[in-house]
Amino acid sequence: MTRVMRIILFTLLLSAAAARADIAIVINSDSDVQQINRSEAINIFMGRYRKLPDGSVALPIDQTPLRARFYRSLVNKEMAEINSYWARLVFSGQSSPPQQAASTIELVDIITHNTNALGYIDSDQVPASMRVLMTLRE
Amino acid sequence: MKCLSTLAHSRLALRAAAAIMLIVGLLGVCFLHLAVHFRAESEKDIQQTRLEGLVSTVERTAQIACFLEDTQLASEVTQGLLSNRIVRRASLSRNDGSLLADHITNSDHSSGTPLTRQIASPFEPDRTVCQLTLVPDQDWIDGQINEATRFLSVALLLQLLCIGLSVILVVFYFVTRPISDISQKLHALEAETGQKLATPGGHRRDEIGRLVTSVNTMIDRLVNSLSEERRQRLAREVEERRYRTLFDNVEVGIFELDDQGRLLSANPAFCRLFMAGEPFDIKAQPRVFTTLISEGGPTLRELTTRRARRDSVREWEMAVGKGDQRRWVNVMVSRLEEGRLQGVAHDITERRRAAEAAEKLAVTDPLTGLGNRLGFERRLSVIERYHRLHPDHRHALMMLDFDHFKQINDAHGHHAGDEVLRQIADILRAISRQHDFSARLGGDEFVVLLDHRTPRDDLAVIAQGLINSINQPLTLQNGQQVRLGISIGIAILGSDTRDVQTLVQLADKAMYRAKREGRNTLRFHDRHLAFDI
Repeated sequence: MTRVMRIILFTLLLSAAAARADIAIVINSDSDVQQINRSEAINIFMGRYRKLPDGSVALPIDQTPLRARFYRSLVNKEMAEINSYWARLVFSGQSSPPQQAASTIELVDIITHNTNALGYIDSDQVPASMRVLMTLRE
Repeated sequence: MKCLSTLAHSRLALRAAAAIMLIVGLLGVCFLHLAVHFRAESEKDIQQTRLEGLVSTVERTAQIACFLEDTQLASEVTQGLLSNRIVRRASLSRNDGSLLADHITNSDHSSGTPLTRQIASPFEPDRTVCQLTLVPDQDWIDGQINEATRFLSVALLLQLLCIGLSVILVVFYFVTRPISDISQKLHALEAETGQKLATPGGHRRDEIGRLVTSVNTMIDRLVNSLSEERRQRLAREVEERRYRTLFDNVEVGIFELDDQGRLLSANPAFCRLFMAGEPFDIKAQPRVFTTLISEGGPTLRELTTRRARRDSVREWEMAVGKGDQRRWVNVMVSRLEEGRLQGVAHDITERRRAAEAAEKLAVTDPLTGLGNRLGFERRLSVIERYHRLHPDHRHALMMLDFDHFKQINDAHGHHAGDEVLRQIADILRAISRQHDFSARLGGDEFVVLLDHRTPRDDLAVIAQGLINSINQPLTLQNGQQVRLGISIGIAILGSDTRDVQTLVQLADKAMYRAKREGRNTLRFHDRHLAFDI
């Protein structure tokens, strides 16, 4: 009985993963920036530079539901590590974590109203008003 | 220094201790050197590991600081590193070489080899964001190393010292002390009194004990053989004294000769016999035995030839000295050993004189002192032998007969007759030459054997001289005078006969012929007449 349950659960998980889309880093389509590479993405999201390739200020936005998946994809780290990273920097005050968006809707709202804001979203949910700068394959 | 070296050579314990200390010292230096070397190496490794560990500890923070180029955080990292005394200088530099943070201690210590670590981005392990350089404080490291090795050295030295001392103590206690004990006891030991060495306590069953037992056994043997030797020496001395007394005081001459016949030793009796009492001097020129002999005895060759010397005992009689001092000695010589002869000499003078006297008595007429019949016959046999050897030598025999001798006896008595006979004997002695021999055969019967060198004419002269002497009146003791006539018969050996008995007969016949033909005359044997009678 337990074995059967386990097999069923495993199959469900697999199909869910297969069903999930990649994560896309997106920006307001009004922005001049066409795309960024992984390093630039890391630099922006981990607070090294707050600048886009074209020199304009970058405003990275975290999306709480996707946050764990995103960082695992981008820097291969768990949330605990990411939190610890930011906690270390609180004292120097030189850098701060990205702004938090509680949901995809809130994220879309922020990006739509701010050309410098960039965030991440399931690649199959990218609205027309946004440009995909980079796709993170899981 | 020399005194010390002498002491070390004479003291086993000191020498052993010195040797052990030397070995321990040498080994100690080697081990210490090795140990210090390895300890220093391992201490260096430890310090290196420590540096690496420090770097690893701060690596994460450094990664973040570099990633964000956060100088404050970077400075936090470098300062934190400097709180370790091993670090002299810590710096974080960007890829372009510009410094993010750099801290250095105030001390003027020297720097070691810098340790550089590339710091990667915390999110992209492949991307280097800066490098961390740590300069170690070499003086401090050296200090650490020194401290570690110093402790090690002291420990090792103490250990070696303890081992060395222990070995010395053990050697001293178990080996050198018992040996020096034994040596001292042996030195003070009076072995002659039968004293023995005592085994040192606790060594009864080991090598020391066996050594003592062996020494005691040897002492026993030595004492035994010494006393045996002493006993034998005493016995020999007694023997020697006995022999010496005998040798010195015996009346028998004892002497030794070498193979050249030279005297090696002689006792006083020998010196009295052979050297007129002159004592034997062993240092003087050795005297050859045969030169001491005046007559008889062996020649030097007889005495010393090899074959003669093999004979067991040889004996000679010999005369020593001249005239009245002449002594007769019997000498027996035997071989003592190779090249050495021993002799014994007896004085036989008295015996020989007695024998000679007896012999003389047997052949002498007691009344006249001339030869008797026995003497005459012996003389005849001597002449017979002599004649056989020398047939051309002619001995003459005179047979004498006195005319009217019986009347003298009758007229004057036997004493007068005897006196006449003695006077006749004196006359015969007076006319006799050295080698002539006169004898009285009995009564008034006399013979004279004349020397073979007398010619026939001389014989007649001698005979006539005798007749003339006899014809002189003889004066007796009582003053009376007597006259005698004499008839002489002469026969010559060789010309008349070759046989002595026949000679006597022929002389006798010639004498009777003289008697018949007028008395008081002489007649030679005449072979033409011989058979007429």
